[in-house]
Amino acid sequence: MARQGVKKLSVREKKVLLALQDLARKADVVEVERRAGLDHSAVMRAALNLKEMGLIRISERSWQEVSPTDEGRLYASKGLPERRLLTVLSKTAPVSVDEVREHQGLQKELANLALGWSRRKGWIEFAREKGETIITLTKSGEEALKRKAPEEQLLEKLARADSLSVDELSPDLRGAVAVLKGRKLLVVREKVRRSLELTPDGEKVLEAGVELEEGVSQLSHELLVSGKWREVKFRPYDVTVPGVRIYPGKVHPQQQVIDELREILLEMGFKEIKGSLVESEFWNFDALFQPQDHPAREIHDSLSLSKPARARVPQDLLDRVTRAHERGVAGSSGWRYKFNPEISRRTIMCSQTTAATVRYLAKRPKPPVKVFCIERVYRHEKIDYKHLAEFYQCEGIVMDRGLTLRDMLGYLKQIVVKLGLPKIRFRPGMFPFTEPSVEADVYHEEMREWIEILGAGLFRPEVLRPLGIRHPVLAWGIGLTRLIAIRLGLKDIRDIFCNDLNWISRFVYPPLSTKQG
Amino acid sequence: MPVITVSYPDLCELLGKRVERKHLCERLAMLGIEAEAAGDELKLEVAHNRPDLLSPEGVARALRGFLGLELGMPRYKIGASGVTVEVDRRVKPIRPFIAAGVVTNVKLTDEIVASLMQVQEKLHASLCRNRRKGSIGIYDLDTIKPPMRYTTTLPDGLRFVPLDFDRELTPAQILREHPKGVEYAPIVRDWPRYPLLVDSRDTVLSLPPIINSEDTRVTSRTKRLFIDVTGQDERVVNQALTILMTGLAERGFKLQSVMIKYPDRRVQTPDLRPTRHRLSVRAANELIGLALKPSEMAKIARRMRYDVASAKGGVLTLLAPPYRSDLIHEVDLIEDIAIGYGYDKLEPTLPKVVTVGERASIERVSERARRVLTGLGFMEVMTYTLTNPRENFELMRVSGEAAEISNPVSEEYTILRTWLLPGLLGVLRANRRHELPQRVFEVGDVVVLDEKAETGARNVRHVAGAIIGEEANFTYIKAVTEAVLRELGAKWEVVAMEHPSFIPGRVAGFICDGERVGFTGEIHPEVIAGFGLEHPVAAFELILPEELYGGAKGNR
Repeated sequence: MARQGVKKLSVREKKVLLALQDLARKADVVEVERRAGLDHSAVMRAALNLKEMGLIRISERSWQEVSPTDEGRLYASKGLPERRLLTVLSKTAPVSVDEVREHQGLQKELANLALGWSRRKGWIEFAREKGETIITLTKSGEEALKRKAPEEQLLEKLARADSLSVDELSPDLRGAVAVLKGRKLLVVREKVRRSLELTPDGEKVLEAGVELEEGVSQLSHELLVSGKWREVKFRPYDVTVPGVRIYPGKVHPQQQVIDELREILLEMGFKEIKGSLVESEFWNFDALFQPQDHPAREIHDSLSLSKPARARVPQDLLDRVTRAHERGVAGSSGWRYKFNPEISRRTIMCSQTTAATVRYLAKRPKPPVKVFCIERVYRHEKIDYKHLAEFYQCEGIVMDRGLTLRDMLGYLKQIVVKLGLPKIRFRPGMFPFTEPSVEADVYHEEMREWIEILGAGLFRPEVLRPLGIRHPVLAWGIGLTRLIAIRLGLKDIRDIFCNDLNWISRFVYPPLSTKQG
Repeated sequence: MPVITVSYPDLCELLGKRVERKHLCERLAMLGIEAEAAGDELKLEVAHNRPDLLSPEGVARALRGFLGLELGMPRYKIGASGVTVEVDRRVKPIRPFIAAGVVTNVKLTDEIVASLMQVQEKLHASLCRNRRKGSIGIYDLDTIKPPMRYTTTLPDGLRFVPLDFDRELTPAQILREHPKGVEYAPIVRDWPRYPLLVDSRDTVLSLPPIINSEDTRVTSRTKRLFIDVTGQDERVVNQALTILMTGLAERGFKLQSVMIKYPDRRVQTPDLRPTRHRLSVRAANELIGLALKPSEMAKIARRMRYDVASAKGGVLTLLAPPYRSDLIHEVDLIEDIAIGYGYDKLEPTLPKVVTVGERASIERVSERARRVLTGLGFMEVMTYTLTNPRENFELMRVSGEAAEISNPVSEEYTILRTWLLPGLLGVLRANRRHELPQRVFEVGDVVVLDEKAETGARNVRHVAGAIIGEEANFTYIKAVTEAVLRELGAKWEVVAMEHPSFIPGRVAGFICDGERVGFTGEIHPEVIAGFGLEHPVAAFELILPEELYGGAKGNR
């Protein structure tokens, strides 16, 4: 057992063993440190390992150590205030308290201290005489003049030795410790002393011979250029020792999901477009055929702006959209109400990225078109564990001749497979600007539940015709908040915007499951 | 979207068949109704555009077709009740339209009464837009004496006992004291006279759109119902009445019409005639991606409760039941065909649409900035664009203008950020207990007011970084800023400048292509203290270019 261990001994451990051999088998850790030329923690680490291997024993002894404070040291050389008063009194007694306070030999602040302690020790007495308080020396005061009290002896001893073990003091002096401690002239510390002792196994290892190779710890420029590296041995490290943790600069976890999604859509051949955070109600709602009294347009659903308060809207487009709403276009009967162009010009915080895709369609791009947009959108919500006032949305459209609802499902399926959530089911959905509409749920294997994650559909003719688009347009949107929470394993969606640096630095982005559905 | 609660046993009874709960929920989902079962209660989420599905009767009616229990359009017999409603010309400027009907052979239970209240409430909220466009009153016909009069009253006029009260109040008192009065007062407040519905003895039926009278209350003992809908929008008024009455007919009750006598015309309500629609078989097949024969499509249409009047030349003429007010275009019919076919049976297809993927150039620039800063050991943070003047301006010792929210949810989020540094200092404040140094950055949009922009404001992408700790000094942060600029391909000029957020003489400005693009320096102690921080901070902020510097030229 012991012999097997020897091969594995580190240089430090060998040094400790050899030091103990030199120190007659047993020694204090401090001595071992000195002998082995190692610092305290190195010796202790080695000692613990050696103890594990049964090569040494570690024993502990604790004791109280006293050392003087700065004040204590001062009094050790100049004498305690009451001693100094005694000396003064022995020469000039009796004197008045005022005289003591004025006396040169005693500093003013010390005088009160000296008077107090002298009286407590019974060295002096006070008497009233002619309006003055006169001090006279007592008998025990006289005696005290002849020899030093235990506190004084201890103080002087401490001043010389700097620190002493309480155990080593005579009973007299031991009694003085508490007094001086109370006067804050010394401090008492709990000390532990460990000593190391070779076991018989340890001795056997030493008898078998421990060869100490003093290796080189760090390759240096000098060693390299001088060629000396050929001659030295590199001390092997214990490579299993846990190291320090460092963290690289990181992209925010939420941004990593966004980047991943962007990558997926680029791979699928989509082109990225950008939206505007401040939108007009025209692009956010009217152009999407959402009637002006639609419940989603009520004041408590979106954030409106007072500055800027009015947006410009292209007049020809506004006319065509007005017609679509009021009387209908492309065979539609429309919503049959009085459209108000002033509402169109109101500004709001963009509430759906569809605004950006429809703005793109208004430029009448030639088919085929595949674009997407990832942007922040806003809601009139109090922020809590399931609502955010501001969050990301991702939206995409595909325009080409002859696209169908089944093609829409095909794109949705492809996107979720790429997102690592390949199990998908489709349900009829309802969006004001698409018909037919579809909702897609994906199955989350770990949570064991279906999660509503995508909404999609074909843009209504009432949306497309005013924009001058005559081909079918597939449109889909991803609830990014939910996707991000799933990807990052978060329960509280506020944590999506978590900026705790410990979290960000320690967060390891989970790999995408590549399993295909 | 509106959510209704229905009882599972009641729904099964209306279906005429016991359908297993899980299967029922699954079928409902495929019909476009999200269902959640909790014991005998089902919570159903219904689309905005289908007010006919806001009652258990309406849901059962659609489901019977979808499950194949009953095909084609439901037909409703309606007789004349002989009841008339005379409309006073004084309602014209305030709430001009009314529709009414009578339901007899009524057998109510407390459960059905509660369900009836729910439909009424849900129709008020959705189709009737919180009673603005229409409001419904339902009364026990045996407590009133026709003919009715739809007239007006002065705010201090006729007193009556409103529902749930035990004493008479004037209309004005109702607006002040009754919970419904308080809630809906804004609709009527500015009118000189309020609308009022009374019977031949001047017994008050209701004060539309606020409240009914207690005396006409419907209970489980009620045998005959009188229903009225008044409102601003005649179409909505008729739709709401049709939906309510055809729903009650599904329980086997008998419907009767009411004659509305306007000063200038007479109308029989409800109008339960079906509507006619054209459906091109080819258009439907093309849009869904199917190849259904006209006969197959006709069968599906009947499952979705349409009648097929004719099928000629690839065109189906469909008759839709009167409660389907949502059909405004052929695509609405096509969606019904897709639903009737079954979304779960539609096989996804992936067409070849050959396009080339392309990243937005600002995102390419942003990614470059992120790469540089993470390489320098900075952590990216993401903060809200919504903020407040104190954080964005005051704590930074600056003033300025920002886009303002007119209906903020809280004091904290009243404006849009105009720069990123305040957010970064906020992040440092939140992390002040963590070890130093800390290096953070953000790449994100700020909103600047711009009269030339279509909306009066535009987003501008910025990058900002900050370091807190002993190493936070000018030399370091300037080196970081210049590293970012260099990697973006910029050629820049450094100029001395003053900025109230920075220590005077320790802030530098950067100029690229003659434009000021940002600054860097040591943050002013007052700013640091304002954010509750106790260590030096150095920071920079730059406007990111739309494209990498030199890139646009290189591509041309």
